[in-house]
Amino acid sequence: MHSLLVLSHRRGVVVGLLAAACRAGGGGPRVELPPPAPAPGDTTCILAHGRATARDTLTLAVFDPVAAAHAPLPRNEGERLVFGQLYESLIRLDCQGRPLPGLAKSWEEASDRWAFTLRDNARFWDGAPVTARDVLASWRVRDPALAQGAVVTDDHTLTVPAAGNPFQRFADQVLAVTKAAPGGGGAWPIGTGDYWVTSGDPEALVAQPMRSGRPALKIVTAPASASRDALDAGADLLVTDDPATLEYARTLAGYTDLPLDWSRTYVLLAPGRDKALAGDLRLETLQEAVRRDARPAEWSGNGHYWFSDLSSCGLLPVRDTLGAAGRRRRIVYNQSDRSAADVAARLVGLGALGRGAVAAGVPPAAFESSLRAGGDAAYVLELPRRVYDACRAAVGLPAWGAAGTVEPLLDVRAHAIVRRGLPRMALDWDGTLRLAPP
Amino acid sequence: MTFRARLLLGFGAVVLVPLTVFGLRIRVVMANRLTGEYQQRVTALVSVIRADLDQRSAGIALRLAALRDAIPRDNRFRAALQGGERTYLLDYAGDAMQLAGLSLLQIQDETGRIVSSGHFRNEYDQSDPALPRLLAAAPAGTALVEARGAEAPFLALARVDSLRLGGRRFTLVGGVAVDSSFLARLTPDSELTVAIALPPDTAFGADPATQVVSAVAVPFVTSGDSARLVPARIVVSHSLSSLVALRRGVALSFLVAVLVTGLIALLLASWLSTRISRPLTALAAKTADVDMDRLDVAFDSDRSDEIGALTRLLGAMTERLRAGAARLREAERRLAMGDLARQVNHDIKNGLIPIRNVFRHFGQAAGESPDRLAAAFRDRQATVESSISYLETLASNYARLYPQPVRESCDVNAVVRDTISRVSDTGQAELRLELADGLAPARTDALVLRRILDNLIGNALDSLAARAGRVTVTTEANGQAGVRVTVADTGNGMTKDELNRAFDDFYTTKPGGTGLGLSIVRRLVLDANGALRVETRPGAGSTFIVELPVGRT
Repeated sequence: MHSLLVLSHRRGVVVGLLAAACRAGGGGPRVELPPPAPAPGDTTCILAHGRATARDTLTLAVFDPVAAAHAPLPRNEGERLVFGQLYESLIRLDCQGRPLPGLAKSWEEASDRWAFTLRDNARFWDGAPVTARDVLASWRVRDPALAQGAVVTDDHTLTVPAAGNPFQRFADQVLAVTKAAPGGGGAWPIGTGDYWVTSGDPEALVAQPMRSGRPALKIVTAPASASRDALDAGADLLVTDDPATLEYARTLAGYTDLPLDWSRTYVLLAPGRDKALAGDLRLETLQEAVRRDARPAEWSGNGHYWFSDLSSCGLLPVRDTLGAAGRRRRIVYNQSDRSAADVAARLVGLGALGRGAVAAGVPPAAFESSLRAGGDAAYVLELPRRVYDACRAAVGLPAWGAAGTVEPLLDVRAHAIVRRGLPRMALDWDGTLRLAPP
Repeated sequence: MTFRARLLLGFGAVVLVPLTVFGLRIRVVMANRLTGEYQQRVTALVSVIRADLDQRSAGIALRLAALRDAIPRDNRFRAALQGGERTYLLDYAGDAMQLAGLSLLQIQDETGRIVSSGHFRNEYDQSDPALPRLLAAAPAGTALVEARGAEAPFLALARVDSLRLGGRRFTLVGGVAVDSSFLARLTPDSELTVAIALPPDTAFGADPATQVVSAVAVPFVTSGDSARLVPARIVVSHSLSSLVALRRGVALSFLVAVLVTGLIALLLASWLSTRISRPLTALAAKTADVDMDRLDVAFDSDRSDEIGALTRLLGAMTERLRAGAARLREAERRLAMGDLARQVNHDIKNGLIPIRNVFRHFGQAAGESPDRLAAAFRDRQATVESSISYLETLASNYARLYPQPVRESCDVNAVVRDTISRVSDTGQAELRLELADGLAPARTDALVLRRILDNLIGNALDSLAARAGRVTVTTEANGQAGVRVTVADTGNGMTKDELNRAFDDFYTTKPGGTGLGLSIVRRLVLDANGALRVETRPGAGSTFIVELPVGRT
């Protein structure tokens, strides 16, 4: 028997039991077909910023460290922007969740299996053609279970069981196809994307296009506090949520402020069912508490937040041994996340957990362990608003989450500051910006 | 109490008592002087803190007044209040607080709603009208407040001011944090401690026994729904730890001094008392040996002190006792000889009177009728023989008064065993022997010793008067130069009068007794250069102790 994490309109509590886990199979689960691909010429997910002008080099300013060792799976926004240009999965999902060709040019569902056909001209950075076996070898490293069920039909075709593998998963960067660089060690893994890294200087990476007609990319890493300096230094593109930078950029005639999708959500996660949390906290005033572009958490359109219903993931409920009395009356947050600090402070200001409760910022590592232990009354943390695989993402939540309370608080988004005349950019489902083909 | 104990106590009293009194007095004087000095420092610091609080309060008032003037001039703030840039409004107090050098700044509207908060930005829109109202009511307009913070509440010294903007009234609550650094700045040295005592703990935990304490009263605005103005205190205390340490050091030094002095006094008193009491003890032991039968104890001393004089006095006294004892013995002997002569005279006369009467009868018969002489002889022969027998017995008895002892080595235990073996009838009495092993031979005649024992054991058995009882004969060494034979019985014992006459000739309490037994025993013992003592109590029996010299002839 498994607990079920269910959210009501704004507040989620454990209300039921899971009858069966979708991952466990059984009974022949129905294969959910992907939505139709966008029609040619659909610019819904294309960021437009004026007519593109030819240029040799584009300078991207990022404010997080970019490490080759993490490739191709990004761990911060900077790596998301950079890795999005270097590596590709079988497919992409546009900002509406519609599939687009990636390394695979086509796909179909047959006999409960997904069949992918690779692009004919797919090449690694070293010029070697990408085969279905290369895809399988890459998956074996990062998702052995998936690789075990995959079957290579020929050099350009492989099939994967549809059961337990939502189609959207194949857009996940974790399944990006790479192979080890000859140098090994800290070298960048060889990918199949539109750009390849030619300079390993972590302060200023240079990525050259795989095809002519595109500008080279120069990636400059700077501290977040220097984002305005990056603009002054001539950066062509940067992604930021700093209101001062956005305000400054708006004063610069050569730049355009492009709001990206609401990509992250701040949630309040509590191990128990604290009644003080369930009170009327006027959460609609939360967005004023943070110093960034935010809105009250809401899920528009179909579906719901991925963390609001993990019933199919088979999360095992963990018995609450501490109880409310055994927990510190603190709202804990990662002290490196200023917005989380603001949200926690506002919750305290609103009287969440009652008088005497405090907010407590802890270092990232300590926050992680504290969250796992569940020794505090509540936690404020930021979760991706969209994930390719909810069950895989749920692994990052604490085990007690299935028996606790989760409260979506705020949706936040970043802005792209783009120099006018830059090539078009496409926005993916997970918020990744990619330079679109000319 | 022994002389030695008295000497030790005397030394202790003379040496230790003044030392202890001296130490205690020093401790008291030192404590009074230092405590007074501490009290002066605490009082001075309290005055400084009062002045400092006034100064800080004035500083806060000045900064709030500056803000009061600046806010109406800020059009952005004015516009934000009208629904404009909300973020500017929320951040205003934080920026202003930093620029003004305050730790607490809160801007409330006329309803008590927090418009902007510098120390806790995200408490906006919360209502806290009591805080400015209570601050305004505080004496001198300044009070301690427990300000809310996101991470933790903190204590602040705060004031309130107000301004009018757009026809509305706003209050400014500003203050400085009263934290450890605030208190540290008030503390001139490490021995003085400044702490805040907030209600309900106004009974600050400073122990007057260990600290010198004084306090400054400060109003305090309590937090919570029932906020009110209550007194709090800034407590200044001076630790007495240095005084305690000093006291402890002095006490330790005095303790060491007392111990060392006491030890020296003990050793000195012990040496002195030993030096004094040893000759006294020896003198007492010698004196204990003195007895009417042991007057040969020598009391010689070359000492020129009181002990020497006492020894010589005792020697002279013993010498006089010896002379007196000799005269007494001679008088006794003469008296005894007189008694004896009278007794002999009486006894012989008693024996001779019948014989003289018989011979008168014979003379009468021979003169009147000689033929009846033979018949008279036959009639009176028995009388004559009886008288002669009486005289012979009498002679024999007197002869026993003057034996002729032979001085030779004598195995005392063997003689005791031999004597006991010849006791034919002990009646119901138990006869017990307790003989010491390895006893040196006594220098006396075995026959004399046997006669002594015969008499004493016989008397002891007789004293039981055929009752059940016990007679114990014990032998033991009497020091290096003697042997002691004890005959103890559980018989009738003797009264004091009986004891005084026990050794007189012919004195007896036994029916048919001659009264010569103990007299003979006494003479035999003395002739053997021995001593005879008696311990007796009526009804509890008697113990005869015979001490004989040892050694070969």
